Amino acid sequence: MRRQSVILGLLLGPVTLFLGVFFLLPLLIIALFSVLTPGLYGGVEWAFYHWNYGRVFGWADGITEIYEPVYLSILFRSLGFAAMTVGICLLLCYPVAFWVSRLPQRWRLVFLFLITLPFFSSLIVRLYAWLLILKPSGLLNGVLMATGLVEAPLEILYTPAAVVLGMVYVMIPFMFLPLYGAIDNLDRAQVEASLDLGATRVQTFVKVMLPQTLPGIMGGAVIVFIPSVGNFIVPDVLGGAKGLMIGNLVEQQFLSARNWPFGAALSMIIMSVVLVVLLTAVTRARKRSDTR
Amino acid sequence: MRNPLGWAALTLFSLLFFAFIYAPLFVIVGYSFNANPVNMMIWEGFTLDWYTGLFGLTERSMDANSRAAYIESTDQMLAALRNSLFVAVFTTTIATVMGTATAIALARFRFRGRRLYDGFLMLPMMMPDIVLGIGLLIFFVTLGMQLSLLTIIIGHCTFLTSYVFIIVQARMAGLDPALEEASADLGASEWVTLRKVLLPQLAPGIMGGALLAFVISMDDLVITYFVSGTGDTTLPVFIFGMIRRGVKPEINAIATLLILASVAIAALGLWLRSRKTD
Repeated sequence: MRRQSVILGLLLGPVTLFLGVFFLLPLLIIALFSVLTPGLYGGVEWAFYHWNYGRVFGWADGITEIYEPVYLSILFRSLGFAAMTVGICLLLCYPVAFWVSRLPQRWRLVFLFLITLPFFSSLIVRLYAWLLILKPSGLLNGVLMATGLVEAPLEILYTPAAVVLGMVYVMIPFMFLPLYGAIDNLDRAQVEASLDLGATRVQTFVKVMLPQTLPGIMGGAVIVFIPSVGNFIVPDVLGGAKGLMIGNLVEQQFLSARNWPFGAALSMIIMSVVLVVLLTAVTRARKRSDTR
Repeated sequence: MRNPLGWAALTLFSLLFFAFIYAPLFVIVGYSFNANPVNMMIWEGFTLDWYTGLFGLTERSMDANSRAAYIESTDQMLAALRNSLFVAVFTTTIATVMGTATAIALARFRFRGRRLYDGFLMLPMMMPDIVLGIGLLIFFVTLGMQLSLLTIIIGHCTFLTSYVFIIVQARMAGLDPALEEASADLGASEWVTLRKVLLPQLAPGIMGGALLAFVISMDDLVITYFVSGTGDTTLPVFIFGMIRRGVKPEINAIATLLILASVAIAALGLWLRSRKTD
């Protein structure tokens, strides 16, 4: 028995130490920094300071720090962009996942491979491609103007729409795969039975398919929502001032404004949004599997 | 599907969906051969200049100054590629060892807090990378650690260990513990059982996990962006910087090469998986 615990220690010791030091500790340090006083020249003073949050949520006194509503609106915008990304990914992927699941085995494998392939290619390269396409002098406008559909180039780049488009594009595989898993497991006999018994297609979809594929939908939604909320690369490359997200704010605090405590407070906000979403998803999934 | 018209519409929608996914990649490949150096949107003829230029072999006439600047940025790019490979190799090795060890421990040992551990290992994967990135940045700077390739490797290992763990754990779940018990009953030590019985069966999972870790490490931008020193960028961070400074046609050539590399890696992964099922 003693020997067993030595082996367990050998197997788990390194990973516990590593994640304890380089994962848990940094998260605790963010929490600590978020309530420290920003120093004059980009440093920190080790004194308690709650105005980092006050600036965002509105209890700043107007003397030490000023309440700036723009931060809250950027937070809500980030949540909105992430929710839109989830919704659009879902609308695009659900029919396609259904289609792929009904193909003959060989083609199914081909299209599943095609879905996972972009996951292996560089994220920044894929975003850059959209930069080329959406530029005023870019491919999309070139095609639209050559065909006479528009007179002047459309201003798509550096708008919120470009940001959501970019996020949808990079997140599609993450929505598709959980959805496909759920749709592939769908009990086809139940769908047939529902149609045979006179239910319309819409009724069958809402009453039979949707409940059965709900775990896949929820899984995909969580996996897409979480990286989207804190995303700063997509808005940085494709978004202008109106596409700014909370991730960009954090990045600015660390690399240009050099107000680390404020940046830490903003990341605490991102982290709490993520934890709330995760906990909700986990408890709901547990409740579902209990009632079954 | 009972309704042929509906099926046709669905097929059309799906094919458009795949076109939407792949069109941007083809756009880059196309533009990488465009000779127009100023406005890469206007086709001026076929050229390989941007590719030869990447390796300092370009024959385009330019004055000594711009040529020097050109070669310098090429050197930086190749250095960034070397850094990426270096980081990915070390990260993959460390994350694969730790992730595999954890998967074995959680599957074959019963101890208190096992389920908690299982959930804890999901966290680094689910944590937004920007949070992890700035957490590590504050941590390293507070400790007075110099930002370098080492800090990048540490940053990558924190979340890639979890990825390897998940994949090896899935493989582990499909194994028959009776084989290991038989090995132990026949007098093999734990070490021999691990080496001769467990690891060979786990090999496809470990390979898959390592491949995934390598690919994600090569592609990681956000965490690397925060924990890399000024001199030690990786390829994604370098390309990100290039895009921010203004687009040059060489990016198309780099991007095309990266797309080709990713297709090769994905094909390798597929081949490994098909071997596993044989």
